Amino acid sequence: MRRLLFKAAAVALVLPLAACSTKGGAETNSTGVTDKEITLGVMADLSGPFKSLSTAITQGNELWAKDVNAAGGVCGRQIKLETVDHGYKADTAKTLYPQIEPKVLGFVQLTGSPVMAALGKNIEADKVTTTPASWSSELLNNPYAMIVGTTYDIEMIDGLSYLQEKGMLADGDSVGHIYVDGEYGANGLRGSKYYAEQHKLQLHDVKITSTDTDLTNVVTGLKGQGVKVILLTTTPKQTGSAAAANKALGLNVPILSNNPAFDPALLKSPAASALDKLYIVASTVPFSADIPKAKEIAQKYAAAGYKEPPNAGTPYGYAVGEVWGTVLKKACENKDLTRDGIHKAMQQTTSADTGDLVAALNFGTPGAPATRQVYVAQPDASAPGGTKYVQPLFEAEAAKAYKAPHEGQ
Amino acid sequence: MSKLLWIPVAVVLLALPLYLDASWLKAGQYMMIGAVGAIGLTLLSGQAGQLSLAHGFFLLVGATSYSVLSGTDDDLVGLGLNPLLALIGAVAISALAGVAFAPVAGRVRGIYLGVASLALVFLGLYLGQAAGSLTGGTSTGRAPATFELFGFSFSNEGTLIVAGVPLRGTERLWYLFLILLALSYWLAKGAVGTRIGRSWRAVRDNEAAATAMGVDVRRTKAGVFAVSSAYAGLAGVMIVLWFDILKPDENEFGTYGINTSIAFLAMAIIGGLGSIPGAVAGAVVVYGLPQLLTLYSTDLGWFTGSVTPVLVSSFVYGAAIVLVVLFEPGGLAAIGRRIKELRS
Repeated sequence: MRRLLFKAAAVALVLPLAACSTKGGAETNSTGVTDKEITLGVMADLSGPFKSLSTAITQGNELWAKDVNAAGGVCGRQIKLETVDHGYKADTAKTLYPQIEPKVLGFVQLTGSPVMAALGKNIEADKVTTTPASWSSELLNNPYAMIVGTTYDIEMIDGLSYLQEKGMLADGDSVGHIYVDGEYGANGLRGSKYYAEQHKLQLHDVKITSTDTDLTNVVTGLKGQGVKVILLTTTPKQTGSAAAANKALGLNVPILSNNPAFDPALLKSPAASALDKLYIVASTVPFSADIPKAKEIAQKYAAAGYKEPPNAGTPYGYAVGEVWGTVLKKACENKDLTRDGIHKAMQQTTSADTGDLVAALNFGTPGAPATRQVYVAQPDASAPGGTKYVQPLFEAEAAKAYKAPHEGQ
Repeated sequence: MSKLLWIPVAVVLLALPLYLDASWLKAGQYMMIGAVGAIGLTLLSGQAGQLSLAHGFFLLVGATSYSVLSGTDDDLVGLGLNPLLALIGAVAISALAGVAFAPVAGRVRGIYLGVASLALVFLGLYLGQAAGSLTGGTSTGRAPATFELFGFSFSNEGTLIVAGVPLRGTERLWYLFLILLALSYWLAKGAVGTRIGRSWRAVRDNEAAATAMGVDVRRTKAGVFAVSSAYAGLAGVMIVLWFDILKPDENEFGTYGINTSIAFLAMAIIGGLGSIPGAVAGAVVVYGLPQLLTLYSTDLGWFTGSVTPVLVSSFVYGAAIVLVVLFEPGGLAAIGRRIKELRS
C-alpha cells in the first residue's frame, strides 16, 4: 500500500512538468518599447531605511511621466513606469531584477548603494541605462550608469573652494573630515583628500559607521587637532550631533557637508540652534527652491494629493525624468529606441536642461561626472524647504582640474 | 523519506530551470544557500548542542577566501587559482577559522557561548572594512571570479540549449548550487548517522558521560565547529556567486551581520534543531518566504502601502519560531515524522 502511494505521488509530481511546454528563450534588444508605449523601470525602497527619500523620488518620476503623457508622450509613445519595492535589501533586489528587467527599456530610479553594487554586473551585461539614486563617482565605472547631478567628491572640492574664497579657510590649515564608512563616505573623502593635497591642508579623517549617533568624542578629538573646518559626509542625525558638539565644546568652526548629510527635519531637532555654521553643498535643489520649475512641481505635488510630507526627492525625481525625456527624444531622432540606442543617445546628450533643478548635464565623457556645478546653502528655518542659498550654481577651478576615479578609462 | 520518493524530487529539481523564469530560479538559489548554511548550524547547535551566533562571520570568511583565492584584480590581493580549487580552499579556510574558535567553546557553554560567538560578527564587520585589499572595501567591494568547472563557465558565455531553453548564467548556477546542496546534505546525513554524530550527541547531552564513554570532548567540539564553519564558508562562496559581488557590510545589519546569524538560527529552530531535512525546510521558510512573496506581490499587485512582503515574512517567521517553541519543539521535522507515522 505504501509503495503504491509513493509511486502515485511520484507520478503526480512529474506529470505536470511533462504536460506543459518549457519556457521560451527569445531575447530581443527592443525590450520595453511597443508602438504605443515606452516602459521605464523604478527600483525603489518604499519600505526600508530610505523610504521617505525614495518615495519622494518615485513621486517625482510619476509627476514627470504624467506631464509628458499629457503633452503627447515621447516619440509618439506614452511613458509607463514599472515600479518595484526592494526595501533596501540587495537580496530582494537581486531576485526582482530578472523579473522587471525584460519589461523595461531603462531604469529611471535605482535606489540604494548595496543594491546598485549587487546589480552592477547585470546592468552592464543587459545594457540597461540606469539612473542610480546615489552620487558616488565610483559608480561611473559602469558605462550604463547615468548619474543626474554631481558626485560627492566634487561637492567637497567645490565646497572647500567656496570656504577658502570666503576667507574661512587658508592654505596649510588643519581640517577634520568625519565620514561614514562605505561608498558614500569614501567618495566624499576622496574629494577632500584631493583638495587638501592641492592646498597643503592637514586633513584629519575619522571613519564612523552609519549607526553611530553621538559624535561628541570625535569632535573633541578634532578640537585637539586644532581644526579650522569640519567636513561631514554623514547621515543627517550625525550632522546634528556634530554641529551640537561643535557649539557645545566652543570650537565653533564652519561645518561643510555633502547634500545627503542634511535633512530639513534637523531644524526641528534639539540641534537646530547649532546649525548656523553649517554649509551644505548640493547639485540638486530643495523642495521649495525659489526657481520657477521647482515651484511648478510643488504645485503639482499638492494637486496630486500625495499623503507623504514632501522633500528634495520630488524635484530630483522630476529632474531625472526630464533628463530621460531628453535622452529618449535624442534616441527617437536617431530612430533607435533600443537599449543600445538609448546608451548612444545618452552619450550624445551634452546639455540636458532641467529648468535649473539640476545644473546642465553632459554625459558625453565616459567616467566623468555629468556636471561639476553646485549650490551652497545654509539651514534657515524661516525659508521654505529649510535652506537658503548663499551661493548660486558655480564650479570651482579645483573641481575643473579634478579627475574622477574612472574618468578617461 | 523513502528512497523511491527521491527520484521524482530530483527530476523536478533538475527540470525546474527549463520551466521557471530567472527571477524564480534566483529565489530558489537563495533558498539553497540558506539550506547549506542551515545544515551546518543544525549540526553545531542541534546535534552537538553548541549555540553559535557567529554564522554570519564564517559566511564572510568563506566569501572573502573564495574571492582572494580566485581573484585576478590588479589592485587587490588575488591568487588567481582555479575557481574549483578556490572553492575547496575557501571551505578549508573557513573550517580552520572554526577550529580556531573552538577553544572558546571549551570555556563557556549555552547562552554564554552564543554571546561570545557574537563577538566574531563584530570582528568580521571590522575586518571587512579594514582589510580592503582582501575584501575590496565597503566602497566598491570586489567582483568574484566566475565559477568554472573543467573549462565550463557558469556565466552567460557560449550557447547551451536544452529542450529549446538556452541555459544561461542563472540556469547553470542552479545546477551548481543543486550539486553543492546535495553534497552537503549527503555528507551531513552520513556524519549524523555514524560514530561522529553519536559523539556530537553525547557531548550535547552530558559532557561527563561522554568523557566516561571515551569521547574526547575538546576534540569533538573542535571537530563540529570545523564542520559547521565549513558549511557556512561554502554558503559564503555561494552567496558571492549569487550576488556577483563581495561587498563587506557598512554596518552590523548586512549580508554577513547579526541578522544573518539570527536568520540561520531561525532556520535551524523552525526546521527542528538537529534535523537535516528540517534545516532545508527551515531555509525555505526563512529565506524563501520574503523572496517568493515579493515576486508574487509584483505579479499580483498585493501589498500596497506600508505592509510589504519583507515585513509580512518577518512576522511569519517570527510567529513560526514562537509557535514551534511553544507547541512543537521538534519543529517541522517533528511534524513531518508525525505525518509519516499517521500514514503507516
